[in-house]
Amino acid sequence: MNKFLRSIFLVDLFQGLWVTFRNQNPKYIYTEQYPGERPKVAERYRGAPRLNINPDNGETLCIACNLCALACPETLIVVGSERNEQTRRKDLTTFTYDLSRCMFCGLCEDACPVDALELTQDFELAAYTRDGAIWDRQMLEEGPRPTRYKF
Amino acid sequence: MAATPWEGELPAALKQRFGDQISECSTYLGQNFAVVKAEAVIPILEFLKLEADFDYLVDITAVDYPNRTERFELFYILYSFARNERVRIKTAIADGYKPGTATAVHSVANWLEREVFDMFGVQFAGHPDMRRILMPEEWEGFPLRKDYSIIKQDDRWVKENLGIESGQ
Amino acid sequence: MPETTFLDSTELVLNMGPQHPSTHGVLRVILKLDGEKVMGTECVIGYLHRGVEKIGENRTYLQFAPYVDRMDYVAAVSNGLGYCLAVEKLLNIEAPPRAQVTRVILTELNRVASHLLWLGTHALDIGAITPVFYTFREREEVLKIFENYCGARLTTHAFRIGGLQYELYDGFEEQVKAFCDMFLPKVDEYEELLTNNRIWVNRLKGVGILNADECKEFGVTGPVLRAAGVSWDLRKAQPYSGYEQYDFEIPTAQNGDTYDRYGVRMREMRQSVRIIRQAVDKIPAGPIGKTPKVIKPPVGEAYVSIEAPKGELGYFIVSDNSTQPYRVRVRPPSFINLQALDRMVRGGLVADVVAIIGTIDIVLGEVDR
Ligand code: SF4
Ligand code: SF4
Repeated sequence: MNKFLRSIFLVDLFQGLWVTFRNQNPKYIYTEQYPGERPKVAERYRGAPRLNINPDNGETLCIACNLCALACPETLIVVGSERNEQTRRKDLTTFTYDLSRCMFCGLCEDACPVDALELTQDFELAAYTRDGAIWDRQMLEEGPRPTRYKF
Repeated sequence: MAATPWEGELPAALKQRFGDQISECSTYLGQNFAVVKAEAVIPILEFLKLEADFDYLVDITAVDYPNRTERFELFYILYSFARNERVRIKTAIADGYKPGTATAVHSVANWLEREVFDMFGVQFAGHPDMRRILMPEEWEGFPLRKDYSIIKQDDRWVKENLGIESGQ
Repeated sequence: MPETTFLDSTELVLNMGPQHPSTHGVLRVILKLDGEKVMGTECVIGYLHRGVEKIGENRTYLQFAPYVDRMDYVAAVSNGLGYCLAVEKLLNIEAPPRAQVTRVILTELNRVASHLLWLGTHALDIGAITPVFYTFREREEVLKIFENYCGARLTTHAFRIGGLQYELYDGFEEQVKAFCDMFLPKVDEYEELLTNNRIWVNRLKGVGILNADECKEFGVTGPVLRAAGVSWDLRKAQPYSGYEQYDFEIPTAQNGDTYDRYGVRMREMRQSVRIIRQAVDKIPAGPIGKTPKVIKPPVGEAYVSIEAPKGELGYFIVSDNSTQPYRVRVRPPSFINLQALDRMVRGGLVADVVAIIGTIDIVLGEVDR
């Protein structure tokens, strides 16, 4: 009987509608107004790579040890180096990073002994061409410059 | 740590029932396995299912050793709900040998055997539907064989169906 | 086979997918129909085949870890856990306690996230549009925890062989606890929306029945098996990563139909929260484990499996004492559960096919690997 009454008065449906009604409350709004409002990503976010430079003298921190290139599962990092006769160390000449194949796993970052290579919080990596996704040393040191929109 | 002999009732029963068709019963890292002759696999699966409660065939897979005469190793992983125990049946077969299908004993073997065929080219005799499952039907070559390099592909198929030179 | 009707009409062959929103990816099902009755099906899969097992043979043990996240991408953490456990087994090492507890917390959170995605999309398939917004809202909170912990939301690569890479961040415990407190009332809310809803009940009750014997025959595991009355969960049956320390139940149901599988998954989410709560309270101090410098397991093979959100996820690794695995085999739960689709839809109606595909909870990345 009870069951019959419940089904006559559509109790189950109103129960559900009441849930949806409760969720109309503006405090449940979750939508982010990207790109007008840029989301804040986590500190450890693994986004665009950056090759760190020493802030004091502008020299690169990379010691051209090639460990990142060896660690990468996709072998997409190419480190070019030249032997410096004076310091008897290797100097970094070129550094290419093929973003189009990167899966942001962070293994290269873990492998770097001097924290020169770092995955940063930049997440806007779209490019108009395939070649645009291949970053050279300059690009890696400067980082991406996404357009900022204002609404 | 090397494999140690696997002792207990089950290997004893297996040995008694199948005699010299079982060449080894061992334990490695706490996991029991039996190495058997290829012809004996299906009777053993049946025996284990009916008389020892191994009613769940977890997986069938193969490993390719191109330098051996018996090129492929087939693995059957079994589990028993009643005994909470796993057993691996291992057998070696030559290229071209057609092992019997396990579909009659465990229905799950259907797709698993198709996958082994797809990846290694091992045909299962008596299988109801021996076709490729993951790769395209007309694809040539068996990708998981060791002599199939990781960047290899069926050029003809790629050209005909995708209209490009290479997928790489 | 259903009995033939007296109007013996010819069979109609209907192609569903691969571009169909309710096949949850690129699954193509060829349906053989008699009127509205399904006489048989054939699944065409492989559209997403990337050769993960082949890639595994060509990468070092450490390098392969990010790839396993890309199989079941809604439960990447579980995939990573299974792989790490398998390699650890071969190396005969164990992660330190702190790492193990952290692993449990993250995997259980991932189970919640995976079930939430399932619930949202399954309800969407049946025609209930509302739950998907709510479940994604809650799932977002889980993903935020992942993002804070390891810097990625979906393909997390959270664990490393031998332990963890990242130390817990400040405020991890609070965030996880806050999630648990927030989440349980939300599960009640979903149940209010669905459990008694007449459309939901009528669409799901008695649809796609798979009984316990059929489940075992088809190797079906996970919630589908538990809904058929088999109280089997690898976390209890063969505990790994310290699951034996936690107090939780295995939800089961009797009928093995789609409605029961819904109920089982809902209760599983609550149990996951229960495990997370216990684990967060006792994260031990200590090291988080270090990846061995050289990973070269001795010659041999091992099969290790875990209870992934979708069923038994197994890794079978053969080592030849080099830095690369000789063979990696993944036992994907979705692939094997999908095989039972034919048995479940036979004799049912076309509309039920959608419900049944949803209820198996497949991820095509894992079916095709
Ligand atoms: S994040 Fe991973 S895939 Fe990308 S460059 Fe680094 S190691 Fe390679
Ligand atoms: S590992 Fe670091 S220091 Fe070595 S080459 Fe790469 S970026 Fe430079």
